[in-house]
Amino acid sequence: MNKEQFKKFTEHLLKNNKVIAPQYNAEGKLIIDELRELSDLFLGPELPLDSWKWFMLPPKMKMFDYKKNVITEALPKIKKQIFLGVSILDLQALTLLNQVFEQDAYYQEIKKNTIIIGTSHVPKENFYQYFSSFEENKLEHLQFDIFLALQNGDYKIYTGSEDGQRLLDNSGYKDYQHIEYAGPIREEGLDQQMVSVMDAMQNYHDQKIWDDLGKRCMQCGKCTIACPVCFCFRMFDKSYLEKGSGERDRVWDSCYYNEFTQVAGVTPDAPKHRMMSTTAQKIYFWYEHHFVRTPATYSLPGCVGCGRCTRTCPADIDIFQTQKDILAARQKAKK
Amino acid sequence: MINDYQTYNSKILKITPEGSDSKTFTLSMPYKDFAFEPGQYVMVSLPGFGESPISLTSYFNEKRFFELTIRRVGSLTSAVHELKKGDTLGIRGPYGNSFPLGIAKGKNILIVAGGIAIEPVRPIILDAVNNPKKYKKVYIFYGCRDESALIYEKEYPQWRKVCDLSLALDNPATKKYTKGMVTTLFDVKDIPSDAIAYVCGPPIMYKFVLEKMLEKGFNPENIYISLERHMDCAQGVCQHCAIGTKYVCKDGPVFSYAELKDFKTWLSPI
Repeated sequence: MNKEQFKKFTEHLLKNNKVIAPQYNAEGKLIIDELRELSDLFLGPELPLDSWKWFMLPPKMKMFDYKKNVITEALPKIKKQIFLGVSILDLQALTLLNQVFEQDAYYQEIKKNTIIIGTSHVPKENFYQYFSSFEENKLEHLQFDIFLALQNGDYKIYTGSEDGQRLLDNSGYKDYQHIEYAGPIREEGLDQQMVSVMDAMQNYHDQKIWDDLGKRCMQCGKCTIACPVCFCFRMFDKSYLEKGSGERDRVWDSCYYNEFTQVAGVTPDAPKHRMMSTTAQKIYFWYEHHFVRTPATYSLPGCVGCGRCTRTCPADIDIFQTQKDILAARQKAKK
Repeated sequence: MINDYQTYNSKILKITPEGSDSKTFTLSMPYKDFAFEPGQYVMVSLPGFGESPISLTSYFNEKRFFELTIRRVGSLTSAVHELKKGDTLGIRGPYGNSFPLGIAKGKNILIVAGGIAIEPVRPIILDAVNNPKKYKKVYIFYGCRDESALIYEKEYPQWRKVCDLSLALDNPATKKYTKGMVTTLFDVKDIPSDAIAYVCGPPIMYKFVLEKMLEKGFNPENIYISLERHMDCAQGVCQHCAIGTKYVCKDGPVFSYAELKDFKTWLSPI
């Protein structure tokens, strides 16, 4: 797909659909938002500030309407949306979310109405070794509808679904190659970087790393918002003014908040009945989720190496450095 | 697509006060073929107040109704306490794994519980009461704050026909009870250490009870513990209940002590 054909294709997308794409805002920050003008579109190695989960797993979702004791399912009412320009790191993140929310009626309703167009642009700040370069054989383990692979200034086009093929056909472009999704696990087995960090955290625990981080982290939870694969949520009921009516919602939660592990309210004999109280416990829990629990549950890395958490952290906690420290503790113990 | 968060209404058939701040709700089955195993729980929902995980406490072979004992501790449970006979509660579940009872057949059983946490082990006691020959001997160690915190007190005579029930109270008003924590019962009464143990209580209790049990020669593989955690989804997604690589809501709430030791959750207590 040359520049002229790409222009025609994207014009076709914009004419008929809600397109969400990376673009620079007035402040000069690269964000993801609805694309109004084709000229605003930015496709390049730089990663947008926020991730695609804002549109795939919105911060707040209504789950049910209730009236007295009758509770009725309220699936998200969503028009077709197209994600244009999802980097391979973010595709890996969405592939993980697809697994986590495989049985979730709300997520699936949004996914059903979303077309994902990936790109092979690799961010410069990437530290996840697997994605330090793009190769065609990596595509069969990512979930997308259309993929734009940079090739000598043009795009080579791949499709990952019938929806993607249909969209290209309708735009008048036919020169694409189909890639059949082969599941998240690669032929060579588990990601080696993922396995070593997991092993280091489980078997070569170094308390000093966590005590130090505990002193620096201020529990603001910004990393959990910035992270493309932080998906914790909590549920609560919101009452309307009309008596007995309201809705059951779910919103993003953050493991840095005290309420996260609070049980049984606040009672006189259990004023702080919660499982995590110290900052060190909380930041360990966060790392444990990404580097131990997610790999153990889904055989997929729980961190795609985008560095958004580092970029947003007000205490300058650098996830790349922490990974190095975790691995160094293992190295040291092995010697 | 099936919505895993859909709740089903159960009618309140009977309300029995338990101690000073708890009530047992006898409920109609929320849907056809509702069945559960001892140690499992349901998410209880009251529109306007949200949801909370509550252990199933009735006999698991009872097909006509089920029971939940709810202590008044927060906004949802306080609202549930205001309900009357004939009102409804939303139910989804049952969720989680259960206490393995098969391995205890013909063997000695020790149940250790503290306060309201007798609730998830009551189905085991009721199983022993309904099948007096199923287990060799059933010992119950139950510890509470004081007399007003005792749950299911009216049933004790019935339990005692089959089980050896020992009670310990922190601040007993009479001399009828052993004074002290539930751990003191281990010094008062000799329990065969080959017993299969089912333990449930507040986190602080585990530390002392487990120490005591290991000291008395119990095998960590024969000690089963039910954990309490904050839960929202109850299906291993929302992360609130995670410990190590496991989810208490889905992989638990029952774990053997041998398993818990292997979780390597360095920074959080079990």
